[in-house]
Amino acid sequence: MATNSPVAPATSPSSVNNPVIRVTNAGIRFRRNRRQRRSFKDLFSSRVRRSRPGEFWALRNVSFSVAPGEAIGVVGRNGQGKSTLLKLVAEVMLADEGTIAVNAGVAPLIEITGGFVDDLSVRDNVYLTAGLHGMKRAEIDARFEEIIDFAEIGDFLDTPYKHLSSGMRVRIAFAVISRLEEPILLVDEVLAVGDKGFREKCYRRIEELLAGGRTMFFVSHNERDLRRFCTRGLYLDKGELVLDAPIDEVIDRYNADYNS
Amino acid sequence: MTAAVPARHEWSAFGRYRHSLWLLTSRDLKVRYSTSFLGYFWSILDPLVMATIYWFVFTQVFNRGVGHDPYILFLLTGLLPWMWFTGAVSDTTRAFLKESKLIRSTKIPRTIWVLRLVLSKGIEFLASIPVIAVFAIFTGATLHWEVVYSLLAILLQTMLIAGIGFIVAPLVVFFRDLERAVKLTLRFMFYASPIIYSLQDLGDLETLGAFNPLSGIFSLYRASFFPQDLDWFAVVISAAISVVLLAIGILVFRRNERAVLKGI
Repeated sequence: MATNSPVAPATSPSSVNNPVIRVTNAGIRFRRNRRQRRSFKDLFSSRVRRSRPGEFWALRNVSFSVAPGEAIGVVGRNGQGKSTLLKLVAEVMLADEGTIAVNAGVAPLIEITGGFVDDLSVRDNVYLTAGLHGMKRAEIDARFEEIIDFAEIGDFLDTPYKHLSSGMRVRIAFAVISRLEEPILLVDEVLAVGDKGFREKCYRRIEELLAGGRTMFFVSHNERDLRRFCTRGLYLDKGELVLDAPIDEVIDRYNADYNS
Repeated sequence: MTAAVPARHEWSAFGRYRHSLWLLTSRDLKVRYSTSFLGYFWSILDPLVMATIYWFVFTQVFNRGVGHDPYILFLLTGLLPWMWFTGAVSDTTRAFLKESKLIRSTKIPRTIWVLRLVLSKGIEFLASIPVIAVFAIFTGATLHWEVVYSLLAILLQTMLIAGIGFIVAPLVVFFRDLERAVKLTLRFMFYASPIIYSLQDLGDLETLGAFNPLSGIFSLYRASFFPQDLDWFAVVISAAISVVLLAIGILVFRRNERAVLKGI
């Protein structure tokens, strides 16, 4: 259950024993072929635990818990389950095994432009996206100007979203999601887009949020970014959590495995 | 810097659900009406043109042996609820596919993706009721107290469409062909439902026709102007089928939710 309780500072004594995210033996499987063929029997059967032919476990036996205020970098090669793990924590995908308990609201920077509607204006889109993430109209009103300033998009408020450049689209989307004031922030390489100046601005915003006690999950291939933001690392390989350690140790291990 | 920002609102689960459902429903309506010049009138124009065509064919070309007088009103009281049914059901085939990006990035209860379509088409239906009023005044028809049954009809129709939507929406993700099969079935259903005729006109097939869940629902709507059309046998069957379909729908939806999220 997600609640929007105020963020507990990372240093409070109670936070040590109250993980904000607790993942226990989580597993999720996908079909190897793109087409999700299903038999009519599947439609009524509850989830079967055994693996059927043509399926593979994208993640399995993953367990960890996260204390409030931690910044965690997820490391691994492509296709090792990093983004899937993020989606499980965001609860936009459901695990086939195990449990994922997220005890606070989540601001997901995953496919951030996905919620924006081409035919609606920037203004309507801001209210729609923030609203779907649980903000009331008055709350959005209070933050609206700041969001628009951050996105540097003031002249385009009533322009249909489809007429914005791709850079502007990412900017406004980032500005909205990063202003949700949720205790947990999930970042999935969205910052690879946009120009250098705006990227730096986003990074400063993320640092600001971290300083304010937010918990963060960060997926990236960029070693420098990982070391900059994260204190702890999760190293995923072949769908399993291989190492859960301080970020430097995790990156060294990853480099030893693949870059040598 | 963030000191002036008020604290975030605490939602109850139901409040949050209603908030999200309403946001997406009003978004659908806003997109539909802001992108076209005639906006609202398109949703009325479609059934109006259809009603005019059938009225012309069955009263001017052929000698009408079905339905009741005034026939144009008889047609509209069937056509407008039909537009709700067919519009919502055919939209549910794309409920997940069209919104896949949003579903992959936003955590809201997944049933909203279906219910918002039932609701937005339902609101369009309610907004088209003045058309019936205009024609009723124009033709001098009397409104009977049976008009209260329309509320029951709306309830049953909502359940029926939601049930069908909960079955169709997830299945289309796995069987894309179902989308076209649904469109074809809807076209067949138009003629198999008492829209241009009434259930009594079916003669020997009347009992069979009552097993179409739309028959009872339409007879409830029509009772407002044509109380002789009210057929409680058909209504009971409609109610039973609607409840059963909704139960099956909820089951199918629940069982397939995680596979849908992987498949889109």
